[in-house]
Amino acid sequence: MITRTEVDGVPALLAPTIGQSQAGLAFRVGFADEPLARRGITHLVEHLALFSTSGADYHYNGATGVEYTIFHMHGSEAELTEFFAEVCASLRDLPMQRLDIEKELLRAEANGRTRGPAEAMPLWRHGARDYGMTSYPEWGLPVVGADEVRAWVARYFTRDNAVLWVAGDRVPAGLRLDLPAGERRPAPARSSALPITPAWFPGSSGVLVWDADVPRAASSSVFAGVLDRVMMRELRRDGGFSYTAQAGYEPLGSDRALITAVADALPEKNGAMLGAFVDLLAALRVGRVDEADVAAVIKKQTEALRNAEEQGTRLPGQALNLLAGRAVRDVDEMIAETRAVTVAEVAEVAVAAVASGLLMTPRGDADWAGFTAAPEHSESAVAGTAYVSLNDPDARLIVGPDGISHVAADDRCITVRFADCVLVRVWPDGGRQFVGPDGITVWFEPTLYAGADGARAGLDASIPPAVRVDQPPRARIPEPAPRAEEARRSRDAARSWDRTAGLIGLIVLVPGTLIALLVAVGLGFTFSSDPADIGVTIGTMVLCVALAAAGVVAVRRSWRRFRV
Amino acid sequence: MLPAVSVRETVSLDQAAAYPEVIAVRECASARDWDGARRVLDTLPPVGRTMALRSGGEQPGSEDFLRERVERDPADSAAAAALAFRLIDIAWEIRSSYGAEHVSRQQFTDFHGWLRKAEVVLIDAVARNPRDPALWTARTVTARGLELGLAEVRRRYDKAAALDPHHLPAQNHMVQSLCPKWSGNWELLHPFCREAMLAAPPGAVQGALVADAHIEHWFDLPAGTDTAYLTSAAVRDEIHEAAERSVLHPGFGRDYGWVQAASTFAFVFSVLNDRRSAARVFTMLGDYATKIPWTYMGGDTAERIRTYRRRALSGGTR
Repeated sequence: MITRTEVDGVPALLAPTIGQSQAGLAFRVGFADEPLARRGITHLVEHLALFSTSGADYHYNGATGVEYTIFHMHGSEAELTEFFAEVCASLRDLPMQRLDIEKELLRAEANGRTRGPAEAMPLWRHGARDYGMTSYPEWGLPVVGADEVRAWVARYFTRDNAVLWVAGDRVPAGLRLDLPAGERRPAPARSSALPITPAWFPGSSGVLVWDADVPRAASSSVFAGVLDRVMMRELRRDGGFSYTAQAGYEPLGSDRALITAVADALPEKNGAMLGAFVDLLAALRVGRVDEADVAAVIKKQTEALRNAEEQGTRLPGQALNLLAGRAVRDVDEMIAETRAVTVAEVAEVAVAAVASGLLMTPRGDADWAGFTAAPEHSESAVAGTAYVSLNDPDARLIVGPDGISHVAADDRCITVRFADCVLVRVWPDGGRQFVGPDGITVWFEPTLYAGADGARAGLDASIPPAVRVDQPPRARIPEPAPRAEEARRSRDAARSWDRTAGLIGLIVLVPGTLIALLVAVGLGFTFSSDPADIGVTIGTMVLCVALAAAGVVAVRRSWRRFRV
Repeated sequence: MLPAVSVRETVSLDQAAAYPEVIAVRECASARDWDGARRVLDTLPPVGRTMALRSGGEQPGSEDFLRERVERDPADSAAAAALAFRLIDIAWEIRSSYGAEHVSRQQFTDFHGWLRKAEVVLIDAVARNPRDPALWTARTVTARGLELGLAEVRRRYDKAAALDPHHLPAQNHMVQSLCPKWSGNWELLHPFCREAMLAAPPGAVQGALVADAHIEHWFDLPAGTDTAYLTSAAVRDEIHEAAERSVLHPGFGRDYGWVQAASTFAFVFSVLNDRRSAARVFTMLGDYATKIPWTYMGGDTAERIRTYRRRALSGGTR
């Protein structure tokens, strides 16, 4: 049973637990709130807020997610009280002297983190904004300053944008949450970078990832469970294509949820894995949903809810619900809702899920399966000065007053316009990385485009200061691929030698062949008149005919070389 | 002068000619009488049904009325299969049967476009009726043309085979996929055909798959070395073994696919100049013949068949 209360103006949920007492303080702020040029600022706040507690000998942690930032603690009442007092005090006065060190620690943390197979999905679905941020590294950190951190805290880390949960017998008597007043910050609207769904984009890891945007509902959660079972059966047990084959459900904002499916396969089985996945999705979409699967999933999910209630682990989710503007749900009510899910409802979710789907293929395209390629190019290039690529003479970079474009040999272009550019990373050597809101990235590398260095000053003047992120010097400055240039030069050299050899061959061989032929013909005429030397004559004649024949072959070869 | 035996001059290259039910379905389809077609189709064994659906889809213009049927009743997997076969036929007419190097970029684009239309129909149909081998057979063709990879072709073939272990139409398409000209190689093709033959009961049509594989292999070799391949003792023996297990087996009946099997052996015995064996198969065939593999000889197919048939039946021995 969850009871609702309040601590210093922060709404709080309390529920009994069979284990050690624990508590969490969550704020409605996460990656999705960060502009790309300040990506990492929330995580930085979390680190700074926990610094003062880092000497303490108790179980705590902080977590920054897409929509929420959470400070969490296991311990006695006294420990909980002390921990949250420290966190709130820190948030009021962050240890800014730690700013640079914590940035370094965050870089180290990012460096040690392994990228999940689904990491690229948010970028493709949303672009380089709001919910797409999850795909991006903490690229804003180098320029985040103390004042910006304070402003971020003042905006988001307030008692009006927070929730507390306590799993234990009661809220510890001395627990104080001394936070400034503010206002509730709803989760940002979700942008879309997909004009048409279902959509696909090519993966490179041999892993298939599919996600779908569905209503937040018990039926959606059951659908995810059914999908998980079907994938396990079709891709792993029966097909033998995949080792990993799973699907999960994750609430998003106040009323949506994201279903994500992941499957791996050996390279030679990728095509079959994709085919089998397309088929199992289609089967669910047309309503071929196995009743036994639905029953099994309902059983599993209701048991999980019951267990979570007993352990007190349902609390965090309910607390976040409160932050998202949803009601706190009673476990019996949720169980009843899950039990009431029908096969037809699951099939309905399947239709919506498939329609909204985004697929990362393990290999090749998915046009054949009714998916549309997600945009990889811009509709038009900017007007401006063109600089030819030193790697590909048919490709060019265009720098203009409105933005920057790269136009490939096939005329397909990518463009970032300064007006809505979300990030420019700037290196001292002249390299610039422009990122547009749709996630399109254009690199300005003066070493790779003829004469481009001259465009640098004008380009820098066009960069909106708010999105400029200066970088330390790079270890490696890109250079034109030597192979392209060398290959061209050696090809030219080979051609010119071939022509010379061919010409010499023709000059020498043509007269030689003619002489041999004349001698042979001449001997043929004198053949009968001089019978004494008949052996020598025939021998010479045969030799001359052979020479003439060889000459003809050689002349043809030389002619071909000359024509190259 | 020709010997006194009467040698027939008619060559019927209509795949369906020997199978009245297939003709009935085709006629219903061309009269847009789908209910009539279904009445016949629903009584047919799997291979006959797939052949009839394929044949029903051969009628130019039938795609519109078949699509209407599928839209009206998405659960009608027979209509979906016939529609898909029709769309596949349109695709291949555009592509032509020449080697990939002779097909233009635009032809490939259109070819893939029509195959995708077929595939979308098939994905939906299979989702509703996963136990229809005709659909899986059509999907082995789309997978090949759309170059989805051998693993996917194999998955689709396995689905068909799981429903009907000796589903000749699916086996024929698998043979094509296993050829190097698509996505396979000889090391995969020959064992596949041999295993399919051995898995089928003696006297079944599957022996022709072994001959098909050798014909494909022979056709792929450069002129000059090809005949040596076919006449080598090992290949000859395998072809004869396959013939003994199928067309020359006393139990060889008139199952669906028998004309194709006999035509294949008639062809290969003709190329081997084994007139006695060829005569036995030509006699069995009467007027019937199939274009494939005879088109591999080039020239006028019917004329080629007539020539070799005359030569075999004129009483000459090997």
